[in-house]
Order: sequence, then structure tokens, then C-alpha cells
Amino acid sequence: MHATVHQLLSLRDGEPVDAEAARHVERCAVCTAELARLGRVQQGMQSLAPLEPPDRAWQQVAERLQVATSSRKTRVPRAFAAAAVVVVVSGLLFRQLDAPIDELPSAQIERDSAEEVLSLSPLDQLVAQSQELDQMLQYLPERPAVERVALAVTIDTIEERVQWLDQQLSYAHDTGLNDAQATQLWRERVDLMDSLVKVRYAEGAPLSF
Amino acid sequence: MTQFQGIPVSSETIRAAAAGDAGAHELIYRCCSRPVYSLIRRLIPNAATADDIFQDVFVEVLRSIGSYSGEGAFAGWVRTIAVNKCLMYLRSPWHRSLFWIDAHADGDDAAFVVVDPASRPDAQVAAVDLERALAALPPLTRTVVLLHDVEGYKHHEIASLLGRSTGFSKSQLARAHVRLRGLLDPNLPTSQGESLQCTPLSTNY
Repeated sequence: MHATVHQLLSLRDGEPVDAEAARHVERCAVCTAELARLGRVQQGMQSLAPLEPPDRAWQQVAERLQVATSSRKTRVPRAFAAAAVVVVVSGLLFRQLDAPIDELPSAQIERDSAEEVLSLSPLDQLVAQSQELDQMLQYLPERPAVERVALAVTIDTIEERVQWLDQQLSYAHDTGLNDAQATQLWRERVDLMDSLVKVRYAEGAPLSF
Repeated sequence: MTQFQGIPVSSETIRAAAAGDAGAHELIYRCCSRPVYSLIRRLIPNAATADDIFQDVFVEVLRSIGSYSGEGAFAGWVRTIAVNKCLMYLRSPWHRSLFWIDAHADGDDAAFVVVDPASRPDAQVAAVDLERALAALPPLTRTVVLLHDVEGYKHHEIASLLGRSTGFSKSQLARAHVRLRGLLDPNLPTSQGESLQCTPLSTNY
């Protein structure tokens, strides 16, 4: 009875093998030849020549990087502005609740400001939410080098969709995206980022039983 | 031996790239592009898909280079991203739906551009045969044999990446070699599964 491919591969790779099988391979010319062949196949694969990437690949990568960078640059200031506005509104509304009636003039000014901010388009509010989620994501620990397939698929799928949305939003001006369409894309981005934060948080949280 | 070993990317270049230096980005691309492309192209024989994934890998590498901690070789970090991207594609429902088409495209028509073939005339025929044999393997089997025998992944690492057991990885490796033997030398007895008994062999490999 000869050794199996399984056993021969273990011998080739220096892994533990049944002692009887190992002794057999030492004495058997057929098994020795097969073991040597498996080694040659591995060497053949390792010495395969490198393959040349397509000529325009770097140019395309560089263009995509530029798009991603410009998208981020245009989105962040707008999001910061919207986020700042939300903070101011919250503060104003809080103070307004406590304000005495005889402070009417200043209260009126604050109310006007609050109303002005509250009248922000849903688009700006979504941008702000999206930015907050981006920041939350940055505080989460890095993804582990090895992770469960199902989790990795989920995260990668969400990230890919977010990247696609970012690309669409960065081309919004060129493609003539209207406010309603942009709002829809930003809403989807917020939903996805929310899911991503939750999944990444769950991934980073220690297991407890 | 993996082509990712000995890739010369300095820590200064990595820092510059993390700061957004376009020159550093290109330098990293030039240093890593061949091993990354070779790995992707061999894991995913469909050229158009491999080209797309190749771009995705470099966009992700250069966008997230700031998250590279410096622990372990930089090339290893790049390789991890490339492997994950390929596995993500292979696991996707889109790929599965195209499996039938891929099964045909992965066969004898699979074409590879070998760098400087004239420099290795004696190995050329065998290398082409081996490339074709690898491309003809089922995607999962091909993935295991390339990650293990070429890239040096351990069975438990492959098992983690695939969400399967170590035994599964070992079985796939054995299956890959049984199939490769049949593809490289059809005159030899055909596969009897993982418990194939060894037989007198050709010296092609």
C-alpha cells in the first residue's frame, strides 16, 4: 500500500505524518518519485515568471485616487459647516427653553437663527450625519488581519457600495444630479455608514459569554 | 517563493505616500504592481476581472496606507489586501452566477503575458503548461494551492480566510495536486480523490 497524496504533501511540507507511512516512503521508489514530483510542481509554481500589469493601469489608479481625494475634500467642509450649524441650533434651542419672557428681543433673534438653521435642507443634515459616522468609524480599532469570511464579506460589500456612492456624489456636478437624487444618495450613504459602524463595532468588541 | 519577498519600499516612501505624495504613490505602485498583478491574475484567470481587482487593490492600498502600522513587511500587508479582494470576488453571488462561463473561459484559452520569456527558453514550455493547468482548476482549489504552495500561507491561515477547517484546506491542496497531475500528464492514471495512490511518474515536474 503506497502513501496517499495527503501524506506525501505533509512530508513535502515538513508536517507530522504517520511514522509507518514515512518509513514506507523512504523505502518505496514509487512514493519517493511522487514526493519528488510534488516538490518539483511546487518549485515550478514558485518560479513562474511575473506577469506584466496592463499599460494604462497606473494612470487609471491615479485617476481614481484623485477622484476619491477631491470627493473627500469637497465633502468635508460642507459637512463640517452643517455639523457646526446643528450644534449651534441645539444650543440655541436649549437656551431658548430656559429664557424668561422679558428677554423677548434676544430670544426673538435666537428663534430667528434657530428657524433659519432648522430650515436647512435635508441634504445638508444628511451630509452632517454622514460626516459624524465617518468620524466614529475612525475611532474604531483597525480591522484584524484575519477575520471571519461572513463578516469580511459584509464589511467589504458595504465599503464598496460607499465608495461607489462617493464616486457618484463627486461627479454630481458633471452628471447634473438634482437635489432630490443627491439627497437619496446621501441618505443611502448615511444608512450604509450606520450599518458599517455597527458591524465594525461588533467586530472590535471582545467576545463575552 | 512568493514574489512579494524583498520588495524594496522604504519607510520614508510609505510615510510620504500616507501624506498624499503622488510620487511616493507611483513608486509604491511600480515596486508592487508585478507581484500583485501576478497573484490576482493567477487567482482569477478572467483578464478583465483581474484588471478591475488589480486597480481596486491599489486604490485601497494607497488610500488606506496611513493605517499600515509598520508591523510586518509592507509587501505582506499589500498582499493581504490583494488576497482579500480576490476572495471577496470569488465569494460574491455575481461570480457564482458566472461560474459556468468562467469554467469555460478558464480552460485552454486562458492567456498569460509572461515577462521576458526569452530569458528562460528551457522552462518556457513547462511554465505555459503549468499556467494553463492552474487556470483549469476550480477557483477554490486553485486559490488553496496558490496560497499554500506559492505564497506560503499555512493551512490554518487559509482555513481562516475561507471560513473553513484546516482539514478542508489540506483536502483542497491534495485535490489540486491530483488534478494538476492529470492535467500536466494525461497519460498517468486519473484521480481517485484525496486517497489517490501514488504511481510511477513523469519527470515533467
